[in-house]
Amino acid sequence: MELAIQTEHLTKIYAGRVIAVNDMSLNVPSGAVYGLLGPNGAGKTTTLRLLLGLQRPSAGNAKVFGHPCGPNATNVRAMIGYLPTHPVLPGHLCPIEYLDLLGKLCRIPQQIRKPRLTSLLRAVGLLSATDRRIQTFSTGMRTRLGIAASLLADPPLLVWDEPTAGLDPSARRFTLDLIRELAKSRTVMVATHILSDIDQICDHVGVMHEGRMIFSGSMREMKQRLQRDDFCLELDGDPEDVRQLAEQAAQVQGIKIQPHEQNTVLVEVADGHSRAGVMAEVLRLVDASKLTLQAIRSTQNETEFAYLQLLQQDSDHGFRRFDLQSPLKEHAVTSDSGV
Amino acid sequence: MPLRAILAYELNGLWKSWLIRAWLIATVLVTFLIVTTNWAVTPTARLIAQLLFPYLVFPWFLVVLLLGLNPVTGARLEALSDGILSRPVTRLEYLLASWAARVTAVLAALFVVILPAVWIVAVADRPGVGENDVTLYGIVASLAVVAMVLTFLVSIGFFAGTAFRSSMFAAAALILIWMPVNLVLHTFSLEEFSPISLNQSLPTLLRTPWHEGQSAAAEPAKGEDMQAAAEQAANFLNVLAGGSAAATRKDPKFYERGDYKDFSLIRVVLGYGVPTLAALGLTTLMFSRRDL
Repeated sequence: MELAIQTEHLTKIYAGRVIAVNDMSLNVPSGAVYGLLGPNGAGKTTTLRLLLGLQRPSAGNAKVFGHPCGPNATNVRAMIGYLPTHPVLPGHLCPIEYLDLLGKLCRIPQQIRKPRLTSLLRAVGLLSATDRRIQTFSTGMRTRLGIAASLLADPPLLVWDEPTAGLDPSARRFTLDLIRELAKSRTVMVATHILSDIDQICDHVGVMHEGRMIFSGSMREMKQRLQRDDFCLELDGDPEDVRQLAEQAAQVQGIKIQPHEQNTVLVEVADGHSRAGVMAEVLRLVDASKLTLQAIRSTQNETEFAYLQLLQQDSDHGFRRFDLQSPLKEHAVTSDSGV
Repeated sequence: MPLRAILAYELNGLWKSWLIRAWLIATVLVTFLIVTTNWAVTPTARLIAQLLFPYLVFPWFLVVLLLGLNPVTGARLEALSDGILSRPVTRLEYLLASWAARVTAVLAALFVVILPAVWIVAVADRPGVGENDVTLYGIVASLAVVAMVLTFLVSIGFFAGTAFRSSMFAAAALILIWMPVNLVLHTFSLEEFSPISLNQSLPTLLRTPWHEGQSAAAEPAKGEDMQAAAEQAANFLNVLAGGSAAATRKDPKFYERGDYKDFSLIRVVLGYGVPTLAALGLTTLMFSRRDL
């Protein structure tokens, strides 16, 4: 399997104080639509900037299509179409001037550059705004121009950082449809914390938490791995009655009830207990309370739930998260083979 | 192609900046005032030196420092990494193009205003100011000296802009260093490189004929210049190491206005050229190691 992106123990520590990326090993297969998921500050943007060579890793390495990344790796940057979050663009230029400049930076000959930039401007719906300066553009228009800029050199890998951030629903729909379309012919990596975007477009996902990659695999694997018998109850009634229900349920073996969303509680079924039995017991308790049952929802196959569970599991692991083995073990193997 | 593209982009941005436009207007006004007020009284060499005074001493050095400052600082850095450095462009290409654009803009602003003024002053028949003894070589050499100082200023601005993340802080640091530069140069016995000394020596240089300048740059004087430069460098290092400045022999007339016989173009070129290259080299080194 050809890898579009490969990182080994990639680590970034800012000024010896802040750990942005923590010993991250990642494989993104060529042709995948890879969603890099994580809460704000998880290290997603830093990871992308390390791939682009805008930052230097404190340890470890990253490769794009087998080529090592770094500040002088222009061959790597030539293969990446980068879209930053809220791209900062030169406001005094018009879109054609801006794309023409980028085309020159990518060493695209004029005969190819000019027709390509005009067709890209048409594709992203900016043809009517070509006479306007970029500083007059809305957030959505800037993102569209950023998308056109990332596609200008026709790169085999697209790295888009929160491409739907700040977009209205129609612009968001346009962007997601575009990613789906582009993914047919290239590898796409999308960093985001918007779970529904990942759900709609990605076939592979990596979950980052506090700089660490806590899961990386296919979407199916992620959901299957976290498949549990838990379910949600949507209730109507007084919050005090909900609290009483939780207290009563706590006395039943194998059940734990906790508030999930507004008017919703999450019923966690402990391992080794029958889902049907637990459900019957909980429904009996609800029936005996003053609460009205509105709906029962399964938590299976919910990306959001799986994601939150991953984060929770990672936090619960505590010191067990310390992976003593990997780097030291590899180092020992290397030393042994050297001897 | 990227180098030329970035150069054109930077020049375009500079041309559209209010700082450059305001500076151009101000230089035209100041030049006009200097020429008109001195038209009937000041000899040509002195008048040209006065025209160049604002560039060498005050106030245009401030503008030049500021122009050098901002390519890799503050919000501009973000735009830079998003737009240019995430493309297949090396940091060296960006720095060289950006530096060249600033030097080009500064020198263009100098020559666009100064050349016509110097030409008018040099060819005009001005009764009452004595014989015009300014030479073409003198004019070219004087403008080259000023251009070299301005290039040096852009380069140290560039260096400070890279060393300090905040352009305000970098500007404050530069101004604090450059304002008392005469005192600093005196400490290291390098007074002849101070902008004030250079400006005072310009009338002599402006009157220097081509052959004299050429011979001065060629044979025995070259050895003396090299020796003097070596002595100055040794003295500089000695003072840096905590020693006292060595006593140097000086022609007592050296600092008398209009009599700068031992002014050496080669020493000035070395004195400003080497630090310019050093500033550019250090900037490249620092920027290539920086996280964007």
